[in-house]
Amino acid sequence: MNMAEKILARASGRRAVEPGEIVVADVDRLLMHDLSGYLTGQVYDREVNRPVRYPERVVMVFDHHFSPPTEQQAVVLETNRAWARRHGINLLDCGSGNLHHAAVRGGFIQPGMIVVGSDSHTPVHGALGALGVALGNDSHAGTVLPYGKAWFKVPRTVRIEVSGTPRPGVSARDVALWLVAKIGEGELNYAALEFAGPYVKELAFWDRWLFPLLCVDLGAKCAYVEPDEVTEAFVRTLPGGSVDRLERSDGQEAESVLRFDVGDLEPQVACPPTVGDVRPVAGLAGHPVQWAELGGHGGGRLEDIAAAARVLDGRRVHPRVRFNIVPSSREVFAEAVRAGLVLALHQAGATWFPPSTGSNQAYNMGALAPGEAMISTHARNFPGRNGSPEAEMYLASAATVAASAVAGTITDPREVAA
Amino acid sequence: MIFEGRCWTFGDNIPTDRLVKSRYVFEPMSEIVRHVLEDLNPDFPLQVQPGDIVVAGRHFGQSSGRAIAVKALKATGIGCVVAETFARTFYRNCFEVGLPALEVPGIGDLVSDGDRLRADLTTGAVENLTAGGRAAGQGADPFLVDMLEAGGLIRLAAARPDIFA
Repeated sequence: MNMAEKILARASGRRAVEPGEIVVADVDRLLMHDLSGYLTGQVYDREVNRPVRYPERVVMVFDHHFSPPTEQQAVVLETNRAWARRHGINLLDCGSGNLHHAAVRGGFIQPGMIVVGSDSHTPVHGALGALGVALGNDSHAGTVLPYGKAWFKVPRTVRIEVSGTPRPGVSARDVALWLVAKIGEGELNYAALEFAGPYVKELAFWDRWLFPLLCVDLGAKCAYVEPDEVTEAFVRTLPGGSVDRLERSDGQEAESVLRFDVGDLEPQVACPPTVGDVRPVAGLAGHPVQWAELGGHGGGRLEDIAAAARVLDGRRVHPRVRFNIVPSSREVFAEAVRAGLVLALHQAGATWFPPSTGSNQAYNMGALAPGEAMISTHARNFPGRNGSPEAEMYLASAATVAASAVAGTITDPREVAA
Repeated sequence: MIFEGRCWTFGDNIPTDRLVKSRYVFEPMSEIVRHVLEDLNPDFPLQVQPGDIVVAGRHFGQSSGRAIAVKALKATGIGCVVAETFARTFYRNCFEVGLPALEVPGIGDLVSDGDRLRADLTTGAVENLTAGGRAAGQGADPFLVDMLEAGGLIRLAAARPDIFA
């Protein structure tokens, strides 16, 4: 069996499982953010109204709000706090960081776990060798909270092998964006993706993170990077980090294997209206942007902040651009402080925001006026997601975001950094 | 389970964000339902009738897995939703909240907006009653049909303690 099948078999008390089977499995962790937690809590109180079976397995992170801008949103957060206290679940309040980063840094994710959540990027925890699957509010309210279980259809496995050495200035995010376009949105519906190959193997943990993250755009159920010594070393840095339940595939053939070489890749930009509309940065050069942001599920990593600082070394943010920097966790902010990156980027004209998920859906920042454009490290760019449907959102690497913030137009980072 | 109704057609890769925009998430359902898919067809939330059928392209309901997008679509009174393919969280949520969903490759070529469609959820067969023509999709898994018949996942879990308790 592969890793996903082994984890599902163990959690459902079976010796083996087959793709296509529906199983009921024990859930190790439920992750909710301030929006999904609120909606799930409403359904739970109204339609289920039982004690939470394993409150210690449930984590709520307020990441869409670092601070509520309206009374209605303040009431939502207060309702969530009361719900969390009443049921005794873990609560990480405003300022903790992005849901997934805060959960990992807090030691809530371990290899071999089944991690579920309403957030569609929950599969990102495959970076640690966990089985992360996005479910809906009714699964959480109906079976995870009252019984600690959920139903799963066992997915087929598709292996994605990436090889080649990218040119200087081309980052793991460029590779990830490019893969979405090469494979196609929704093309791997319901599959489990196994990321492998020499390129992936050479990546450090936080660059590997970007690959399971993209699986939702391909339509996949879950994704993972085959756990190895990089995974194990990272897990040991976490509070309570343990590799005791780590599973590996037996090496049996996946249903299909897709192979890619990244040796000729250029920096990439995802254009509106969807994440799959990806083009080389050269084709967009000169397009004006008024906003630039590091943040979101995949952004706001120390790697992103350091890349921006390299681009901005000796330069300033363009006077017509606002450059937001949103650390993905409190730990990342502390690391950026210690490395001197906070002062350097502040003096270059960037603005620091509290650890959170930043402008994701504009709940407390990041609304755009008609005609404005933002380039960011976020995971989504659908029209209307951040304010006006006539605003544009472009997704790119931290270096491309920073280079564009300097130039005031979408810019190849290799032109600025040269 | 057989459904018959007037079709409202939509395109590929439509995210849940466009079914229910972020700004309406905390509003009451009576307000949310007045804005479902309004950016893509302003007539839809105002003119949709009970029993109508939403027909979409590939990867329908991608992006956020929030069930409220499905609940809002169900609250319009439609009988079922048919698509070339669904985003998996959307498909899952459909059955969990009690909205029948059917995947039919080629449905986009089979129907035009306003046609009447007949769809059999159990066998996956669909027929265009206006223009003629048939297509075959995949019938829903029996576990999911049980879920629909129970009135959704929460009711199934309450009625069948042997499954989850």
